[in-house]
Amino acid sequence: MRRNILNIVFIIVFMFVSVALAACGGKSEGGASPADTAAEQEAGEPSNEADASNAVESEAAAEPADPLGKYAETVTVNEVLGFGPPEDPKTPKDITPETNGFVKDLRDMLNIEIKYMWTVPSSQFEQKFSLAVASGDLPDVMTVDMRQFEKFADQGILADLTVAYEKYASPALREYMESDGGFAMKAMTKDGKLLGIPGFQDPFLSTQILWIRTDWLKQLNLEPPKTMDDVEKIAEAFVKNDPDQDGKDDTYGLALNKELFFWGFDARGFFNGFGSYPKSWIKDAEGKLVAGEIQSETKQALAKLQSWYANGILDPEFALKDSDKTVEDIVAGKVGISYGEWWYPNWPLNLNREKEPNAEWKPYVIPGVDGPGKSLVPSLRLSRITAAHKDFAHPEAAIKMLNFYIEMDGNREYKEKTKAENGYVYNWFEPRIYNPDEFETTYRVVNEALNAGQETIEQDGPNAKGIADVFEAGKKVLDGTGTIKDWGLYYSRGAKDGGWGLTRQIRDSGDVVRDEFYGTPTDTMVKHGAQLEKMMNETFTEIIMGASVDKFDEYVKSWKALGGDQITKEVNEWYEANAVKP
Amino acid sequence: MNGRTYRMNRLKLESPLHLMLVPGVVLTLIYHYGPMFGVVMAFQNFEPLLGFVYSEWIGFENFRYVFHMPDFIDVMWNTLVISVFKIIFGLAVPLMLALLLNEIMKDRFKRLVQTSIFLPFFLSWTVLGGVVLEIFSLKGPINALLSAVGIDPVMFMGSNAWFPAILVGTDVWKGMGYNMIIFLAAMTAINPSLYEAAEVDGAGRWKQMLHITLPGMAPMIILLCTLSIGNVLNAGFEQILILYNPTVYESGDVIDTFVYRLGIFSQQYAPAAAVGLFKSAISLILVSVSYYLAYRYSNYRIF
Repeated sequence: MRRNILNIVFIIVFMFVSVALAACGGKSEGGASPADTAAEQEAGEPSNEADASNAVESEAAAEPADPLGKYAETVTVNEVLGFGPPEDPKTPKDITPETNGFVKDLRDMLNIEIKYMWTVPSSQFEQKFSLAVASGDLPDVMTVDMRQFEKFADQGILADLTVAYEKYASPALREYMESDGGFAMKAMTKDGKLLGIPGFQDPFLSTQILWIRTDWLKQLNLEPPKTMDDVEKIAEAFVKNDPDQDGKDDTYGLALNKELFFWGFDARGFFNGFGSYPKSWIKDAEGKLVAGEIQSETKQALAKLQSWYANGILDPEFALKDSDKTVEDIVAGKVGISYGEWWYPNWPLNLNREKEPNAEWKPYVIPGVDGPGKSLVPSLRLSRITAAHKDFAHPEAAIKMLNFYIEMDGNREYKEKTKAENGYVYNWFEPRIYNPDEFETTYRVVNEALNAGQETIEQDGPNAKGIADVFEAGKKVLDGTGTIKDWGLYYSRGAKDGGWGLTRQIRDSGDVVRDEFYGTPTDTMVKHGAQLEKMMNETFTEIIMGASVDKFDEYVKSWKALGGDQITKEVNEWYEANAVKP
Repeated sequence: MNGRTYRMNRLKLESPLHLMLVPGVVLTLIYHYGPMFGVVMAFQNFEPLLGFVYSEWIGFENFRYVFHMPDFIDVMWNTLVISVFKIIFGLAVPLMLALLLNEIMKDRFKRLVQTSIFLPFFLSWTVLGGVVLEIFSLKGPINALLSAVGIDPVMFMGSNAWFPAILVGTDVWKGMGYNMIIFLAAMTAINPSLYEAAEVDGAGRWKQMLHITLPGMAPMIILLCTLSIGNVLNAGFEQILILYNPTVYESGDVIDTFVYRLGIFSQQYAPAAAVGLFKSAISLILVSVSYYLAYRYSNYRIF
């Protein structure tokens, strides 16, 4: 019996830990059910100082004001903070969130005084914040995730930042916001009111591309693939014609692992090539959102994979391998084709090149049935949203604080000053925001400098160090002195024919398919998602390994009956009500 | 000396022992009993951000929800089949090994065998999982052996027929050393004069085993049986999580892996807790019943 008690205890402790971990990670895709009656009832009592925001609005008709203008009278901003130990060990021991250099500078430069209503270790933040929400005790300026944002927006407790943004946003902040054509900002806009400033990343970072061992192509006199048939021919040759010339039958065609739709070394790009987009919501001919996994294109892709499995192009045991094992195969030179994203050269292709210095890898646009295929791209890669409470008299202070952070973070003149040993702890400062276009900026600046034949790079602004690193790596790779580490860095981020180099071409061409759903998981998704996903993995794997392709039709029927139809309905309701439409 | 002073004296005498017990009791209370209050979330619409105190109470809704999931019957069935076989072989194999080892006269050889059988017990499934996958893979030694005698290779880890057998087999292999040691210990407790008497009466090795060794070990065998009945719903979470894959969900998905996917992947903490609680309730009943039976029929008490 003791063993059983141990088991409950284990499960419970496990859950505590995972909850805590989820809380630490500042999750962007909260999963728990959204019922939160206490919060809805109590939050958002109007207070008396509400008129102040009108005052701001009336001045607002005026031309843009100084993004970093100093207030004549001190403005107090109530905040809450979850904080961990400073990342840099050189940080002086006596620094507290109140004496953080950024907080002091904010006071000196803008006359904004941050007052912490409470500070807790970041592991307790989510819970403490939720309790604060439940008791209606919200800060003036806050950083929230998508789930909280949706909830607060529904409750009407967020300030309209439209005017404040128009008037005070610095050129840098505007550039960030416009980098995706304003999509993320529109997603934060409800009834014409901008309720939050989104901190997001370029969604094209998840564009699928096809990585191929080009030294093997050369060895076997093959051309890079344009269509799915080309891929098939190449893969077949990689299996049968001994591309590594070691006289052993030890290679296979396409790298896959047991998770068909994972974050790498998987089949996402392959399915996308057939116009099939499992685990996403795409628009059908009538403009409704439909689940990618149940479309007929998915059946075609499965049939093709099945024939590849039968012909020995796939590892017969791919369904038993986790991604680590598949990566081992790539590193060991057992496989030369893998669908994935821009970052492969930085890991694990560099490891393969360390073992086989002659190995060459290049990315290609994913081939479709006849011509280039269209990769799936999410609508939004959102991490943090900055919002202000509607009763806060100076919503523009939120914008000014963001301006301030970008200025401090990027400007070279502050680089020396904001070092950790001077008492600056960046992750104790809220709100923060980062350049969504960091990769594109890096690419552009590095290539400009390399084309101009510059010896050094004098980049100012956020991520200057990252840019300089890529530049250095690129310079060395190009003059032939680069190490494999340099190659990895340069071919993922800097090279024109590298990971990001190809991804940005795809981005510019616009030949992609969007995952239209970016909301929080719907009720039925939470309830039945795990089961539907298990059914999908089971059926798809069975079909690939030889079960009748018609099993797919059965699967679609069960999917619909076991909650899929309901989820589709909810997703479309969400789309009608909330989604940003072009 | 009256009873009271006797008790006082005893308390005085044993108080250092009780003191030594305190840290263990405190740790048990904190780490084993404290978290048990978490079972309340099985009856709540639990939201991590709100915690136990603020989450809404929904009675048995979580249980109803889980029991009505279409997978639940299959998962339950898999759990029972795998764990029943594990229990049977997990007792029978060590018992046989112990009986055989007992017959070995050479002490050094006996110890060597004993240790090597015990060794896998100390390795974790994370390590052994890789070994098992490698051994049963298409290019592994088993398939090499099969092809040497002209049999087509079998994908053991991807076959619903083989997978449960491999689970049982490897689990028995890993755990057999432990029960074997317990059985061996039980054998040493048998009075040697019984064997001498039997020999005088003309009993051979076989008869001695049948009439002295086995009856002498009966309490221990019953004890281990009783204890393992409580484990009927534990089919071995770690092992299965490491070894299974989508092709063998049909035969290898058990309650624990089901709860894991429910709780961790779908973040449905409350239904996951409900399943855990259900499992423990069943185990509690089974253990109580088997304890009672053991007491009733062989007059053996564990506690």
